[in-house]
Amino acid sequence: MQRRSFLRGLGLVAAASAVVTPTMLMGAEAPAGPNALSIDDAIKAITGGKSVVASPKVHMKAPEIAENGAVVPVTVTVDSPMTDADHVKAIHIFATKNSNVRCADVMLTPANGKAMFAGRVKLGESQDVMALVETSTGEFLSASQGVKVTIGGCG
Amino acid sequence: MGKRKSLIKIKPKKYKSGEIVKVSFMVMHPMETGLRKDKKTGKIVPAHYINEVKFMFDDKVFTTMKTWESLSTNPVFTINFKVPGKGELKVVYTDTQGEVNEKSKKIKPKG
Repeated sequence: MQRRSFLRGLGLVAAASAVVTPTMLMGAEAPAGPNALSIDDAIKAITGGKSVVASPKVHMKAPEIAENGAVVPVTVTVDSPMTDADHVKAIHIFATKNSNVRCADVMLTPANGKAMFAGRVKLGESQDVMALVETSTGEFLSASQGVKVTIGGCG
Repeated sequence: MGKRKSLIKIKPKKYKSGEIVKVSFMVMHPMETGLRKDKKTGKIVPAHYINEVKFMFDDKVFTTMKTWESLSTNPVFTINFKVPGKGELKVVYTDTQGEVNEKSKKIKPKG
């Protein structure tokens, strides 16, 4: 009798662990912070449903392979005359697979002379870094580049 | 929380008025995401990151940035700026724990 109950108990434990582990693993994969936001929601919040065009006017510079995901330099330049009538209003930078995809929203004015932003971002894993550019004429342009990360920078 | 170390760099060093220069703003900041665990205590380190940076020239804002925790530790912000003349460049930054700091640099165009 003792042996039988012991085996039954073992079976229960095995079943319980089989149920629990997958959910726990998923939790560990994507730790959702208070600011967690998916890339589609983030783009929609900015464009309000307008279409985004991938444009050769937006130049994105980021390393193809980043050894350390904690510091990845990113430079975005936009070809724009930067006059009062036609200038870049904002450059948004997204890391598409981070828990919070938003990195920085840069609001520019014609006083900048040239539309450029350079900064350093953290990347949790290999992913695309994307720049979304809003112009004063109401257009949304984008560019993106994949970055391979060998050591993650989040967590 | 004493004053944070920060630095404003202008490239090129010598410039004329009307010229477009690169303005880099560097600041020593931990930029905690709020997701990382402290290895010793096992507790989650609370989020602490810069969420707003404003670039001003003679108290007139010309560039505003909203930032999140996905920026690196000790971040650098580089933008272009067309020098209008003599004046003072000021950067004001705010973080999620309510710290407001600023750094300024005099703009002296030659010619």
